[in-house]
Amino acid sequence: MSDQREAYQPPNSGSGRSYAGPSAASGTMHYLCAECGVKVGINKGEPIRCKECGHRILYKQRTKRMVQFEAR
Amino acid sequence: MPSSDHVDPRRVVGVEAEIVTNVTSTDFPGHWPNEDHSWGIDKFKNTFRVEFHRNTPLFAEFDLIHMDASIANTFRRILLAEVPSLAIETVYVQTNTSIIQDEVLSHRLGLIPLVGDKKALINMQWFMKPASGDPPQDPTDDNTIVLHLSAACERIPGVSRSETDPHKLYTNASVYARDIVFDPAGKQVTTFANNPVRAANPNILIAKLRPGQEIDVTMHCVKGIGQDHAKFSPVATASYRLLPLIKILKPIRGKAAERFAACFPRGVVAFEADEETGEKRAVVGNARNDTVSREVLRHEEFKGCVELGRVRDHFIFQIESTGQFDADELFLSAVSVLKAKCTVLKRETHRMLKKQALDARSGSGNAGPKKGDRGWAAE
Ligand SMILES: [Zn+2]
Repeated sequence: MSDQREAYQPPNSGSGRSYAGPSAASGTMHYLCAECGVKVGINKGEPIRCKECGHRILYKQRTKRMVQFEAR
Repeated sequence: MPSSDHVDPRRVVGVEAEIVTNVTSTDFPGHWPNEDHSWGIDKFKNTFRVEFHRNTPLFAEFDLIHMDASIANTFRRILLAEVPSLAIETVYVQTNTSIIQDEVLSHRLGLIPLVGDKKALINMQWFMKPASGDPPQDPTDDNTIVLHLSAACERIPGVSRSETDPHKLYTNASVYARDIVFDPAGKQVTTFANNPVRAANPNILIAKLRPGQEIDVTMHCVKGIGQDHAKFSPVATASYRLLPLIKILKPIRGKAAERFAACFPRGVVAFEADEETGEKRAVVGNARNDTVSREVLRHEEFKGCVELGRVRDHFIFQIESTGQFDADELFLSAVSVLKAKCTVLKRETHRMLKKQALDARSGSGNAGPKKGDRGWAAE
């Protein structure tokens, strides 16, 4: 076994957007409340919780990216 | 309309209680001795007849008389599968948060019959789908129609709390085919100016929405044929049936005449005053409306009184259009499709015969089939 293990490298934010994170401009992600359906804006570090009803289950919104289908 | 008594028995398919007789046509050369049944265009022109019974844009009923079943069936099949029409082919979903999945929504959109300027539609070119691996072809104003559909559902403010009708509570509670908008490109602005592309029936329900849900799609329509997908078929249905024939052999009078008439759809049997007794007597009224249910053959009292049949070369053709073209125009399109196919067949036959003749000449002295030229039979 090699004695030198590769050190864990935390993903450095800023270089290469490999995940759909919050946009750099606002830093706020919008989710939909599973209970009341309201749109909830959540900033980094904030609890996952609906601001209207306090429900703790939030849905990710559908992608805004275009999807192509055959009408068949 | 042929009177029931004067139809050549060779043209009649017998419909009996448990058997259908005289099914195949016999008017071909060599079947009847000393009779000429060779096909000729002049003979066909003299005997063939077309009679229109109903002709509306969406429905046509006409009779093709003295035509072979194979040709009538060819027209039916061409109408179903080979007369081109415009339909939605590609759906670009920007957003769809309705409960209808993207794939199902796309399929539903594809099946919506479209109408628009007929001349501009006929002049449209084919959009050739590139083979897999090839670069995608750019759609042009020649071959593609662009449509948009966008609808978002929201609560309408100030509606009574007791209201239960979703259409009064929300905007766009139902998305209909009339919400589809045409986006003309290039020359389509002028060619479709008077008659834009739209759904044939504005009231087709596409999806139902509830507050917060939204549909925003762009659609590309192309010309295609029913062989590729049923959505391209220009007919709701195209079918034919043979003219029913009812032959009354013995007079049926009085109460029996009424019971006789009850065996047929309304109007098929009429009544006349009998010359001898003055009673009413059953006669054939409109045999065309008969369904040939054979109900009359189940009754003991009418045994030997009536013969049922159909006229083998009298086709009652019915075409129902989806709206893009008129029903009678569709039949003419089917005829021109058949003509085009015959031209191709004729040309290719000539080419084949020419090649055979050239091959025979170059290989003269070796008239028989060459060795190894006999396919699987040689092995
Ligand atoms: Zn909530």
